[in-house]
Amino acid sequence: MSTFVEKLRSYRKPGYYDEFDYHWTMTIDLDRCTGCEACVVACQAENNLPIVGEERFAQSREIKWIRIERYWEGEYPNVKMGFIPMLCQQCDDAPCETACPVYATYHNQDGLNTQIYNRCIGTRTCAVYCPYEVRYFNWFTYTWDEPLEQQLNPDVSVREKGVMEKCTFCIQRIRIAKDNAKDDDERRVRDGEVVPACVQSCPTEAMVFGNSKDPGSKVSKMMKNPRGYKVLEELNTSPSIVYLTKAHS
Amino acid sequence: MSKISRRDLLQYIGAGGVGAVGGVLYGESVQRNVELLIPQVVPPDDYSPGVASWYNTVCNQCSAGCGISVRIREGKAKKIEGNPVHPVSQGRTCARGQAGLNALYNPDRIRTPLQNAGQRGSGSFEEISWGDALATVGSRLGRLKIENNASRVRLLTGRVRGRLDELFAQFMGLLGSDHYQQYDFTYPSALMAANKTSYGTDVLPYYDIKNATFVLSFGADYLGTWISPVHHSLAYGHLRHGQEGRRGKTVQIEPRMSLTGASADEWIPARPGTEGLLALGIAHALVSDGRYQGSDRDEWSTALAAFSPARVSAETEVSDDKISQLAREFGASAASLAIAGGAAAAGTNAVASVVAVNALNHIAGNLGKPGGVIFNSEQAFSSAAASRPAGHQGVLDLTEAMEAGDVEVLLVHDANPVYALPENVRFQQALQNVPLIVALSSFPDETTEMADLILPTNTYLESWGDDVPDPGVGFPVASISQPVVAPLYDTLSAGDIVLSLARQIGGELPIRMRWGTMEEFIRDRWREEYNKRESAGEAQEFEAFWQASLEAGVWGQPGADSGGNSVPSTSSTIASIANPVSMFAGGESDYPLVLHPYLTATFLDGRGANLPWLQELPDPMTSVVYGSWAELNPATAAEMGIKDGDVLEISSPTGTVRVPALTFPAIRPDVVAMPIGQGHKGYGRYAGDRGANPIHVVANQIDTQSGELAWAATRVKIKRTGEKLQIIKTDGVTRTLGRQILAPKNDHG
Repeated sequence: MSTFVEKLRSYRKPGYYDEFDYHWTMTIDLDRCTGCEACVVACQAENNLPIVGEERFAQSREIKWIRIERYWEGEYPNVKMGFIPMLCQQCDDAPCETACPVYATYHNQDGLNTQIYNRCIGTRTCAVYCPYEVRYFNWFTYTWDEPLEQQLNPDVSVREKGVMEKCTFCIQRIRIAKDNAKDDDERRVRDGEVVPACVQSCPTEAMVFGNSKDPGSKVSKMMKNPRGYKVLEELNTSPSIVYLTKAHS
Repeated sequence: MSKISRRDLLQYIGAGGVGAVGGVLYGESVQRNVELLIPQVVPPDDYSPGVASWYNTVCNQCSAGCGISVRIREGKAKKIEGNPVHPVSQGRTCARGQAGLNALYNPDRIRTPLQNAGQRGSGSFEEISWGDALATVGSRLGRLKIENNASRVRLLTGRVRGRLDELFAQFMGLLGSDHYQQYDFTYPSALMAANKTSYGTDVLPYYDIKNATFVLSFGADYLGTWISPVHHSLAYGHLRHGQEGRRGKTVQIEPRMSLTGASADEWIPARPGTEGLLALGIAHALVSDGRYQGSDRDEWSTALAAFSPARVSAETEVSDDKISQLAREFGASAASLAIAGGAAAAGTNAVASVVAVNALNHIAGNLGKPGGVIFNSEQAFSSAAASRPAGHQGVLDLTEAMEAGDVEVLLVHDANPVYALPENVRFQQALQNVPLIVALSSFPDETTEMADLILPTNTYLESWGDDVPDPGVGFPVASISQPVVAPLYDTLSAGDIVLSLARQIGGELPIRMRWGTMEEFIRDRWREEYNKRESAGEAQEFEAFWQASLEAGVWGQPGADSGGNSVPSTSSTIASIANPVSMFAGGESDYPLVLHPYLTATFLDGRGANLPWLQELPDPMTSVVYGSWAELNPATAAEMGIKDGDVLEISSPTGTVRVPALTFPAIRPDVVAMPIGQGHKGYGRYAGDRGANPIHVVANQIDTQSGELAWAATRVKIKRTGEKLQIIKTDGVTRTLGRQILAPKNDHG
């Protein structure tokens, strides 16, 4: 038990993430994002998100690891729409992690906020604590109308009733890239070798993903953009997603 | 113990794992069926368990012709991504493209040939064999050919390009019927007609959004639904931040904010139907400000004299100042570009409006240069003439012919005119006069349901084909479609059905159409193209070329001029300048609101509605799922006492739909907008019986010059029915309320 507490303390130590090799980070340029939602379907396809049906949507029980939020500004005719893709921010000081009574959600060595489905007992506390509302609960075991199940991605487990789920930054793709790098003379994962499904699909190239600990990576450069900010930063959650606000010509 | 050598044991392990070995070791007493972990002892070359392979092919969710890569594991398609080497998609996809897997694995697919087993349209079908089905059609067509009555055979398809188009044309030609026509609601027919007038060519030009610095769009939802959304989105990203220190500006003119309007720097809700007039007002300002210095300056001045900003302002309800400002920016930008589409190109003045927008490009000198309008040549790859959709007039002619009893056999492939035409065209009723309707389709839909015989087709992910993207990308490009998985059911590709029918009919058909399969045909034609080009110095064996093309999914010659870059003269555009005001069906007093039907980024013209991922994809502008709605300006709704979810009866002079109301902040107060896509009656379980189809109440008005359907020229009245319906939305609060969501706090001021 004491080693566990020690470990926990070291997890909470400021600068802890500097001790690790990778820190997966994403930047999303809202000046490029058009709200087309290609990322939403790409995520659904990659991560075996269920088709929940009309009734469940009506009960707000949909599951979308990434969604586009829409915000109106002004009134007709001077009205503007702002889109913002919202997904798990992979916070470094994640409120959800401290809340889980069974440590089903924890921070892994890559700075990822990870969900262990087998451990989750479905208290849904984490979803309440998350200020971004990006955690989704399986109220039911969803099934696929035959033969839609043939599409399911074998690299990602299908969740069942009673567990919480959320964006993983496509951890299966990170795993594959790391394995390949290891097999290739134990080299490090190169910039651009890991591309989550949403980033891959984005037709305006609004999203950039990479290791922010590598100063040469594209994402590191994007993070330095003066338009960069973090959503609800005042809550001190230290998100791993940097948004670039809309610009003006 | 049974006598088993180590070598045998290893073989058994290799074949079936522990289960198999166990069965052998325990002898005859264990007679269980052994379930093999790996279904094949010697799997095919491209099948390695646990390892994904990617196959390149062409997306068919719209007509853009994006190259896609499909991830295959254990013979099943898992994921669609853009083909990174394809010049149209460049590795990217849209939501519809991603959802292509839902089409392949759709539970409602037609799995065997079917024949009608009840009254036509009742939806009761019984299975028949391919042999019987092809014999039935083949003998009927053969008889008509012998009787010299083949012109009584009609073939109606959706947008088809490449060799399948050639095959259709050849088949109908050899049969002796010149009635092969295409119909696609989304096809930019008015744009083509206008470009024919302005530029003398009806080949779609390449609108170079990527290198533009100022894009002025009249109703064209180029990021969501217009012509090639993925390619335009890539270009848009580049326009915004592709070049250091430069951010292009976009302006969108439309009565209801589209996806593109939402991303535009300025959204201008001009009065519906006056978009072309607004373009002429801007043109007038450009010329009178001396921004145009061409030799035909006086001709322009004369042609545009009647369109002073002051006059245009009154009719378009866009202020003088705004018109002058747009003219200034358009004229002063390094690379400006004006485009027209959507509702602006769907009034009774469609062609005149687009010509007016073309005039802007002429005056600003945007033709044939980067960031402007770049012309494509007729055929960059294939020597075969490509068919163009006959458009609305073609469908009206077909309807008339059916009503007159002039059509004995109607073959329909991948088109759903019963859904995508106004009800008062009476297409469905006319179908009753056709003795034999044969549908080539993968899914049951409203048109397929009317068929006597359904020949189930492979989806595009199971078919051979090829494609030349339209519009082209400035250099010769052709893509290959290949099956990425084996057909799931007892289905055939449309090309193979045509070839089989040719054999059934006999005579010269199977001699001229000698290919056994569509694959053979494609290969044969590509070999011809290859041989033609080989003399130009490409020293390569065809087989190597073919394999390389298959692997890449695309063949192209970047850098090679497609030969269409001459800048057309302005005279025909000047001559065609006319007062482009749309005439609406329905008087303003009886029908106070303009109906604005719009294509959605999720369903397009309704073809995506049977895909569950798209039904569950929140509408990009409203976040509504599973249903349709009518958008009203909050002021209009308040005035009429209408609240969200109140079911409205929307009546045009030709029909009525019932649909719940939804207030929408970015729509003109005199407009009611409805998304196209829902309201299907027989399109499988996901499209279900949900929502309403606005196309059905559109009056059958046509553009006076091109004969195209003027689907944005109908007025309607709305009435509350007293019923309420829950509109299912995923959005909660749609204002940031000062929170740090869209920008850092200090930006909010």
